[in-house]
Amino acid sequence: MSFQAKLIITAMALLNGLFVMELLRKRKLSESYTLLWFFVIGAVIFFTWAEQFLFSLTGFFGAITPVSTLTLLSLLFILVMLIFFSMKIYKMERRIQELVQRLALENAKRNQRITP
Amino acid sequence: MGLRQDIDKEGAIVIPVFNEEKNLRATVEEIRRERITWDIITVDDGSTDGSRELLEKLPVTVISHPVNLGYGAAVQTGLRYAVAAGYGTVVLMDADGQHVPSEIPNLLAALEKGADIVIGSRLLGSSAGYRIPFLRRMGIKFFSALAEILGGTKIYDVTSGFQAMRRNVAQFLAEEYPVDFPDAEVIISLGLRKFRIAEIPARFRRREHGISMYSNPIRAFYYPFKTILASFIVLLRIIRGKK
Repeated sequence: MSFQAKLIITAMALLNGLFVMELLRKRKLSESYTLLWFFVIGAVIFFTWAEQFLFSLTGFFGAITPVSTLTLLSLLFILVMLIFFSMKIYKMERRIQELVQRLALENAKRNQRITP
Repeated sequence: MGLRQDIDKEGAIVIPVFNEEKNLRATVEEIRRERITWDIITVDDGSTDGSRELLEKLPVTVISHPVNLGYGAAVQTGLRYAVAAGYGTVVLMDADGQHVPSEIPNLLAALEKGADIVIGSRLLGSSAGYRIPFLRRMGIKFFSALAEILGGTKIYDVTSGFQAMRRNVAQFLAEEYPVDFPDAEVIISLGLRKFRIAEIPARFRRREHGISMYSNPIRAFYYPFKTILASFIVLLRIIRGKK
């Protein structure tokens, strides 16, 4: 990878980091998710500059080119994130259901429909 | 929510409602015509067609979900209410007019004979003439077999929502009930927990207005996969010692 390409990728990653920080500042993202994205940005920058490590990893996976390794790692990351967010969504659904049911029951109680 | 343990009311009829404005009044009036004096608890599941406003005018208890949660969640809310209010027996029936209220005494009579829950069946006795589309009938047979294999209970009409149950079953289901398609997995879950399940013939009618929740092709496609998975998970949870 050329030095110029490395600089562009690094700059884009850092810009992404600033964007995430801005989201955190505006309370549109939580600290935990911000840390997660910082980790991802850090990984992108690390793989961009630690070429030797990427080559070793490519050999370890039996991939032909470093690009294949990056694609594989990216896909794995996306898969893990999708499962993670599916779990989060399900948890939210359960909470919403519980809240809606409780609200409905409390309203019914308030209307003096349940014997105290 | 604290659930009261004492039973101070005989029974209630729980009716989940979602966009049934055209069927509701007739269903409630038919129950009253049958001289069934039990309280009717309706759970409006975020209807958008005026069902909730109509319910307020009928002689029923109204519980309202501010948003649509699904059939199972509406049933669960109704069961939670019934358990909290101290009802000893709960009858579940649909608002669409398919369940015939004059069959309720038969369900209760079967309950008196020792069952914990009684299913009103379209596939037994004289009710077997009720027309069910071929694919759905095959599906019901498949899930009936699955419920028998996994849950150890032979129930022919596993998709019937016309049921009468004792308080102990209502208490259990009030805590754990699937959001959608609460069919075979509920039978399996109850069977594995050694609840006594009975099935009796019951007359059903075709709905006059609106469409069934099984009519949506996407939901119809999703249904068998979800039910098979959920059925096995019920078994797995029992094996792993979780509820």
